[in-house]
Amino acid sequence: MFWDKKIETMKPDELEVLQLKRLKATLSQVQHVAFYRNLLSGAGVKPSSIKTLEDIRKIPFTKKQDLRDGYPFGFFAVPMKKIVRIHTTSGTTGKPTVVGYTQKDIDTWADLIARNMTMVGVGEDDIFQNMVNYGMFTGGLGFHYGAEKIGMTVIPSATGNTKRQIEMIMDFGVTAIHCTPSYAMHLSEIAEEMGVSLDSLRTGIFGAEPWSESVRQTLERRLGVTAYDSYGLSELFGPGVAFECPERDGLHIWHDSFFVEIIDPKTGELVSDGERGELVVTPLVKEAMPLLRYRTGDITLKMEDGCLCRRGQKIARITGRSDDMLVIRGINVFPSQIEHVLLKIPEVGNQFMVYIDRINHLDEMTVEVEINREYFSGELADLARLQKKVVKELRDALELRTTVKLVEPGSLPRFEGKAKRVIDRREAV
Amino acid sequence: MKNWDPRIEEMPKEDLQRMQYKLLKSLVYRLHSFSPFYHDRMKEQKVHPDDIRELSDVKKLPFMFKRDLRDNYPDKIFTATQEELVRYHVSSGTTGKPTVVGYTQNDLNTWTTSLARALTSIGLGRGDVIQVSYGYGLFTGGLGMHYGAERIGATVLPTSVGNTERQIELMQDLGATAIACTPSYLLHIGEVAEKMGVDIKKDTKLRTGVLGAEPWTDRMRTRIEDWLGIKAYDIYGTSELSGPMFTECVEQKGFHIWSDIALVEIIDPQTGESLESGQKGELTITILQKEALPMIRYRIGDITTMDDNICACGRTHPRIQRIQGRVDDMLIIRGINVFPSQVEYALMAIPEVGQHFQIVVERKGALDDMLVRVELTKESFSDKINDLMQIRQKVEHRLRNSLNVNVYVELVEPGSLPRFEGKAKRVIDKRSL
Repeated sequence: MFWDKKIETMKPDELEVLQLKRLKATLSQVQHVAFYRNLLSGAGVKPSSIKTLEDIRKIPFTKKQDLRDGYPFGFFAVPMKKIVRIHTTSGTTGKPTVVGYTQKDIDTWADLIARNMTMVGVGEDDIFQNMVNYGMFTGGLGFHYGAEKIGMTVIPSATGNTKRQIEMIMDFGVTAIHCTPSYAMHLSEIAEEMGVSLDSLRTGIFGAEPWSESVRQTLERRLGVTAYDSYGLSELFGPGVAFECPERDGLHIWHDSFFVEIIDPKTGELVSDGERGELVVTPLVKEAMPLLRYRTGDITLKMEDGCLCRRGQKIARITGRSDDMLVIRGINVFPSQIEHVLLKIPEVGNQFMVYIDRINHLDEMTVEVEINREYFSGELADLARLQKKVVKELRDALELRTTVKLVEPGSLPRFEGKAKRVIDRREAV
Repeated sequence: MKNWDPRIEEMPKEDLQRMQYKLLKSLVYRLHSFSPFYHDRMKEQKVHPDDIRELSDVKKLPFMFKRDLRDNYPDKIFTATQEELVRYHVSSGTTGKPTVVGYTQNDLNTWTTSLARALTSIGLGRGDVIQVSYGYGLFTGGLGMHYGAERIGATVLPTSVGNTERQIELMQDLGATAIACTPSYLLHIGEVAEKMGVDIKKDTKLRTGVLGAEPWTDRMRTRIEDWLGIKAYDIYGTSELSGPMFTECVEQKGFHIWSDIALVEIIDPQTGESLESGQKGELTITILQKEALPMIRYRIGDITTMDDNICACGRTHPRIQRIQGRVDDMLIIRGINVFPSQVEYALMAIPEVGQHFQIVVERKGALDDMLVRVELTKESFSDKINDLMQIRQKVEHRLRNSLNVNVYVELVEPGSLPRFEGKAKRVIDKRSL
C-alpha cells in the first residue's frame, strides 16, 4: 500500500534530479538565517558552487550546539507571522532547542507520517490509540496529524493511566497503537495482570527509543500485533523521518525529503554503504527552519540491498549514539543537562553519579549527589527538603522523574582522566 | 480582522432564525429515521418530526441528559459509522464509566470554525503567539484550542499543563501574546512568575487570557486583569458539545452562541418549562450541526440567563451570561441555595482577601455548617491578632449578607491553600447525604 506511490518508488536517477533541485531551494532558503550566511561565506560556499549532490560536502556540518546557540529564533528563515507552531526539544544544557513550523511544514510532516502508516497497512478503517505525550513533544501531535490525514479514528489518549488505556483498547476495538517499546511492554504486563486479552489489536508502532529484535518478538507475542520501528527527531519535524515497511528489515528514509549521509563521527569523512557511522541529514523540504548537514548523533548504516517493497534505499535500525545522549522513557537526556541543573543548586557539591536501570520494563534514573557542607545545617528536615528540591529541579529541566540520593561529601568516585559519571545498567531492549 | 465570518456573524436575526428552523427540522427528520435512541425518545414523547412547524416547537422535543450518554456507553447513540469517525474524546466520569464523544471530520470542522470566530472576536489572529496550557489528550481543552488557534493562523505553542517554571520561561522567550488555560492555573502561573522575579506585565508580551473549563466571576476577572496586565476572556463549552466552543467578544458581556451551530433555551431545572429571556435557569442546548453524536435539548446543568439583544460589537447571535454555577454544584446550606461562584464574587470585593479560598461544608448534628477558608494578601497578612480579627469579622459579615446563610471564616496564610493546574476543586462537602 502506498500513500504517494510516484514519490515513494521513484527511480534513483529521477530522485537525484529532484534532490538536487530541492537542495538548491534549501540553499536559497537558508540565506534568511544569519548563522548560515556566515557559515557558508566562511567556508567559501556560494549557492552557485553547489552543482551536483556531491558538492554538499563543501558545506560544514550543523550541530545541536549550534541550534542551542541560536535560541530562541536564530534558525527561523521566515517571519514570525508565518510560523504556526513551535515545538521544543531537550537541549544539551539549560535552554531547550526550539523548532518552528509553517503551515506548509505541518502539512509536509503529516504527509510523511501518512506515508509511513499507509506503508504498514494502517488505513481509514483503523482505530488508532496514540499513547505518547502530546504538547511540546513532537511524538504525540506528529502522529495525531498523520493519522487524521489518513482519516482513521484517533484516540488521543496520551500517556499514563495504563488500566484506562487497556479499557479503551477493549471498549473501542482499537486496532493500532503507537507508544515507546518499553511502555508497550508495561502495557502488556498490566493487561495480563487484569486477565484480559487485547484481541482487536493488529499493528504496533514503536519509537522514540532504540529497541531490539527480541523485544519485537516479545511484544508481537504478548500483544498480538505486528510491530514496526519508527524513527525521527524534532529538528527534522519529529517522527516520520524513517520507518519500517512490512519486510521489517531496516528503515525506509524518505529521500525526496531528506538527503542522507553517513559519516565517521570522529573524522567527519563519509563512510561506504554498509559501514556504520553517524547519520547526517539535510532536510530538503523544510520552510520555517531549514538545516544543512545536521548531525543527528544516531549511529546507523546505509543498507546495500534493495527492498522487495520497491521503495528506496534503507538505513539500518539505530544501534546507538555518537555522543553521550541517553534515551530514558523515550525522552532524550544529555548528562550535561543534569550537571547544569545540579551546579545551579548551591547546597549540593560538584560530584555526582547517574545510574540508569530498567525496573519492570520501565527506565529508572537515580542521581547520587554529594551535599555541600558549607550550605548544609545537618538537620534531617533540611535534608528532606533539599532532596525534594533536587528532584523538582531535575524534573522541570528534563521532564523526567528521578530518584535522588544525597550522599556524604567525598563518598563518590573521583576521576583522574575523563569522568564517567553515567552508568547505564540497562540490558539492551 | 474584526470578524472571522461577517456574513454569518452579523446576519439579521430573522434570517438566523429561519436558518435555525431549517437546520432543526432536517436534524429531527434525520434522527427520527436513523437514530434508534432519538426515534424511541420521540415516540415516548408522542412527537413526530411533522409536529415541528416553527422554531419554538423545539419545546415539544424530549430532553437529553448526561446519564443518557453513560447508559449508552461507549457509542450506542452515535449516528456515524466507524469509517466516518475520526476522533474520540473521553471525559472521566466521577462514577463508573466515562463519557465518550465521537467526531466526524465535519464535526471537527464545525468545532474549529466556532472557535476561529470566537478567537477572532477577542482580537486574536495571525500575529499572535498563543500558549495552549490546557491539558492535551483525551480532554477537549488542549486539542480544541490548538485547532482553533491554528485555524486563525496564530503561532501555537502547545505547552499543555504542568512544569510551570518552564511555561513562564517559554512565555517570555518565545513572546507569547495570549494564553489559554483554566483561571486557577493562570493564578498559579502568576504566583510562580512572581517567585521567579518575572513581572508578567512588564517582562512578557502577554495581553490576552482565554480562560475557562470552570466558572469564574467578573470580580476575579478584574483582579486577574489588573494583576497581570491582560484582558481576560471567558470561554465556554463541554466535551458533549465537542469541547470549548464559545467565548465572549471584546465587550465582555456574555458568550456569543453561534445560531447556525447551536440553539439555546433556558429552562426551569425543576419543571422543565422554558423561561423568558433574562430569567435565570438551566442552559439547554441543541447542536444543529453535529454528525457523530447529535444533541437535542441537552440538559447541560449550567445555570445562566440569555440575552437576545444585538451586542455592541454588531454580532446578532444571542448571548448567554457567564455561568453562575451548576445545577449539581449548588450547595444547599440549611435549605438555602448557595453557588461557589457567589462566594467568589463576595470575596473578591474585599481588598485584603487574596485569590484563593476553599469551602468546607459539614453537618454538625442535624445542621449544616459552612466554613470558608480565605487566603489573605501578602500586604494584609499581619501578626497582629486585632487586625486579623477585624478582617475576619468583615469577611464573615460580607458573606452572610450576600449569601443569607451563616458562614464561618478562617483566615489562612498567603500560599497555604492548594493550587491547581487543571480545574480547581474549591468545595469540600463532608456531609454524607
